[in-house]
Order: sequence, then structure tokens, then C-alpha cells
Amino acid sequence: MGSTLVSAIGFGVVLASIIAVAAMGFTIQFGLTNVLNLSFGAVMTVAAFSAYLANEHGVGGWSGLAVGGLAGAVLTLVLGRGIFKPYARRGAHLFEMMMVTLGLSLVINYAIQAISHNNIYQFAVLPSRPFQLGSILITHTQLVIVFISAAVLVALESLLRLTKIGRALRAMAADPELARACGIRTGRIVVLTWLLSGFLCGMAGVVYIINTQSVGYTTGQLFLPLVVAAAILGGAGSPLGAVLASLIMGIVTEVVAAFGSDAYSTVAGFGILVLVLLSRPGSVRGGQSGHTQLTL
Amino acid sequence: MTAWSYYIATLTVYFGVNVLSGLSLNLQFGYAGVVNFGYIIFQSVGAYIAAVVVLGPSSGTFQQYVFGAHLPFGVALLLATAAGAVLSLLIGLFSLRNIRRDYQAAILLIISLIATQVVQGYVPLFNGSNGVTGIPRPLFSTLPVSLQGYQWAYAGWVLALAAIVYVLVRWLSRSPWGRALRAMRDQEDAAAALGLNVTALRLQVFVIGGAIAGLSGGLLVEYIGAWSPDAWGYAETFVIFTAIFVGGLGNYAGVVLGVLLVPILFLELPRFLPQVGYPGLMDSIEWIAIGAIWMLCLYVRPQGLFPERRNRARRPAAGPLAEPRPEQVGAV
Repeated sequence: MGSTLVSAIGFGVVLASIIAVAAMGFTIQFGLTNVLNLSFGAVMTVAAFSAYLANEHGVGGWSGLAVGGLAGAVLTLVLGRGIFKPYARRGAHLFEMMMVTLGLSLVINYAIQAISHNNIYQFAVLPSRPFQLGSILITHTQLVIVFISAAVLVALESLLRLTKIGRALRAMAADPELARACGIRTGRIVVLTWLLSGFLCGMAGVVYIINTQSVGYTTGQLFLPLVVAAAILGGAGSPLGAVLASLIMGIVTEVVAAFGSDAYSTVAGFGILVLVLLSRPGSVRGGQSGHTQLTL
Repeated sequence: MTAWSYYIATLTVYFGVNVLSGLSLNLQFGYAGVVNFGYIIFQSVGAYIAAVVVLGPSSGTFQQYVFGAHLPFGVALLLATAAGAVLSLLIGLFSLRNIRRDYQAAILLIISLIATQVVQGYVPLFNGSNGVTGIPRPLFSTLPVSLQGYQWAYAGWVLALAAIVYVLVRWLSRSPWGRALRAMRDQEDAAAALGLNVTALRLQVFVIGGAIAGLSGGLLVEYIGAWSPDAWGYAETFVIFTAIFVGGLGNYAGVVLGVLLVPILFLELPRFLPQVGYPGLMDSIEWIAIGAIWMLCLYVRPQGLFPERRNRARRPAAGPLAEPRPEQVGAV
């Protein structure tokens, strides 16, 4: 009983670390641009497939993370500049933009389905034998994933709190008009946001498939609800909040899975979503008119 | 020729069912601005309920499910309608609070994804991934007609129900209640200031739409005889949304046209084209095209082929896809 609980929490932390990398990317993007980007999962899948292909051509191991991160960063910037911005110019607001990202996610996901022949591919690049850590049976890979996630958190929080760019990012998230009036080059900051959040998104895709050891066209799409819920629960724009929310969600999911069944663990995820709604009326309120504006 | 007749009768049934879906979403989204990205789960709860209440008690070996009974098909349809309404009420109660519309839509989409996983994972509910099968066709053995005649009789029955719902929904949206819906959609703050209970209005339109969705699911499952999670992926919702985008939001004739163009013509036409690439490639391409049409509609013509007809002169910018700008809100 006790050891089951401890090992379930251990798995929860691993799951949380994977969610957290994606949720940190999502929350940075969402907090600054206000685009509720439902194509985030599709970009994760593209990055995961890039890492898979790189691995097939001899760029294996942990450097797959860099490959996936770069793919995610480039794709996110291209989408942000080439698709989201033109729609915003034509007068799309928050809601229309979300519809655009949804259509885009259909296009990307099914394009991957077409290209991948709807197959699931093995991605066993880092086979490592599980070992006993206390009462938790864990692999080296999973341990590294937890460290990567923690490192990303530290790097991101220090970027936001300690550097000039970070201050500019936070200022723009709070009030883009005022930030521009203060001489911050808002266009550059938006480009930086696309690149940064895209890099994290891509990395998350690769981390995810390193753990599951397989990649298919639904990889990112199935993961998206967890990421969006963690970002909303943690508060838009806060990496630390996203990580804490991911920890709650990861641990609850795994503990319920250990003591109940997988079906119940999804219901627990559902329960957390309700909690998100009830706990954050302040940040999600705004009616239809909404005074929040897109920043692109 | 019989194969053709059979095929066209089947398409007619699908057409009727999709018209019902389009009417439901158009009432919710086109008139009230409620974005139901989980539409397909309300259709599928209707389908599951209509299936299990005619299948008889679950034997537990061949397939497992709840609520097994031997009820007549008419009662099954009523129960399916009620199931759609009840599930809408439950989900609407917590998801339709006064929150940002994009959050609301994302939450309903997430609920749709989770619902699929729950039904797949919890087998005793509706037999998991395999789904329920062997649902008898209503009055198949009692009606004195051939198989061909039965097909067309069923198609007529679906079309008749779709026509009744069409008239009903059109009447509803022209009533004072329908005007209140449009007021809420275009200027929510102003509508609330006039004393309309916008949360209650949203919930009402959500439940009515859910009831229509349940009915459409019941009609569909009684025709095809089986229902499984493969039949209700979250993306199915977007086919109907694309149809009403193409046809015209807030215009019922447009909905019928959109359903004819998108789910019927567009998704059926590839059957008659030569097979390209490996099996399944055409399916992927169809979905890519659905997404592309969706994005194109948002870019080029958000009001659809047949825009909503206005009773009086209005600002042209208003409509389900145009959020009021802050300066307009401020001016109210």
C-alpha cells in the first residue's frame, strides 16, 4: 500500500515533468500573445517526427531534443508570422484565432497521418534498464527527463526575472500598448516568444516519445488536454505555476491509475479540469467581449 | 441499379441526420454564440442509449453495457433525445459559466477527447473500443416491404423528422426567445443590462441542441446497427461546423446547403475517384481539406454562402463570428 503510493507518486513526477516542459512553452506563448493555440499538440508531433527522422539518419540520443526543439521553434515562428498574424490583421479576435488554430491542427495532424501512413513508429533510442530508487522502479532516462524539466524551469524563471529581455516579456504580457510606449521593441519580443515557446513545445514532443518509445500522428493531440489544463490551472504566463499544476495533475493521474483503473485516471483528469474552472474564475472570466487583445 | 438505389437511400439517411446536427449547432452557435466543440458526444450518447435499450439485457459475454432492455424503437428514440438533453444539462451546468468564449470552446473540446477515452477504457459502460453491435432495425420484420423499400421508408422517416425539427427550430429562433439569443450573441453586456439572464439562455439553448443531437444519434444507430468510439472522434464535430460555416451561420436554408455540400458531396465524392496511394490516404486528405476549408472560410467569408438575414438595418460587422470591439462595448 505505502510502497504502491510512493511509486505512483514517483511515476506522477515523471509524467508531470513531461507535461511541464510542454505547459511552460504553452503558458509563455499564451500569456504573451493571448492565442489559445490548439495547434500546439500538432507542432509537438511534427517535432517528435523530426527527432525520429534525425535518429534514422544517425543523429540519435539526447541530441534529438535539440533537433525537435529547433523544428518546433521554426515551425511555430512560421505559423505565427505566416498564419496567425494575417488573420489578426483581418480582424480576428481571441475566439476567431482559436478557431483558426483548430483548423490548422486538423491540417497538420492529418498531413502527418498521410505522410506517416498512419503507422506508429518505434523510437527506442535510449534503452535503459530500470533500477530501484527507494521503492520506485525508475529508468535512467526518466530520471534525466525530470532533471531536464527542472533545468528548463530554472532557466525560464531566471530569464524572466533576471534579464532585460525577461523584463520586456513580462511588461508586454501585462500591457502591450504601454510596453510599446516605453520603447520596448514589441515585434522582436513576439518573434522571441514564438521561438522560445516553439522550442519548448518541440522539446516536449521529443521528451514525450523518449518516454513512450513510440511516435504516431496522434502523439501531440492526445497530450494536448493535459497541457492546456496545466497552463490554465497554473495561470497564463507563469512557468512556475505551470510546473506546480503539472505536478498536481501528474501525481493525481498516476495515483488514481495505481489504485483504480486507467479509465478512472482519465475521470480524475476530468475532475481536475472542473477544479480549474471553479478555482480560477478571475483569470478565465471576461464574457464574450473580453478586454484582452491578441498581441501578434 | 439496386446497389445505386441502396446507396442513395443510405446517403439520404446520412443527409437527414447531418441536417439535424447542423440545425442543432446552428441554433447553438449561429444564433446564441455558444460554441459546442463537444457536439459529437451528445450525438453519441443518444446513439448508445437508443442501442442498449433495444438490445435486451446485457449477457456479459458477447458485449457488456448498461441499461439493457427490450423497448420499442419509438421509446428508444425518445430516450435518446432525453439522454442528449440530460448530458447537455450536466456538462452545460459547469462549462457554460461566464468565461471567455475561447476557454469555453477549448474546455468542451477537451471534454470530447476525455469522453472517448472513458468509454474506451471503461468496458462495462458501452462495451469499450469494440462498441455495441447487432442493433435490430425498427419494424424490419413487420413492415410488408422489400429490403429496397425498407431503405427508402427509413430515409423518408428520417427526412420527415428532420423537417419537423427544421420547422420547430426556425419557429423557436424567430420567437422572442430567439431574439433574446441574438441579442446575447451580439452584445452580451447590453443584453444582460436589459435584464436577460444570459447564463440561463445559454443553458437552455445548449440543452435543446443536445436533445436534437441525441435524436440524431438515435436515428443513425437504428439505421447502421452498431456504434463504437471510432464513430465519434472529436474531429467529427468539425465536419458539421465546416458545413454550417460553408452554408452560412444563422441561416437555416444555408445549413441544409452546407450539409449537402460538405458531409455528403465532399466526403462521398472521393469514393468515385480512382484510389490514390495506399489505402487510407484519401481519408487523411479529406480531413486535411476539411481543416483547409475551415481556415479558408474564416479568412475569406466568415458569414458563409448565405448570410443570416437581418430584420432591420444593422452594423454589417455584427454576426456570430464578429466579437464586439472594446470601443463599441464602451459606447453601450
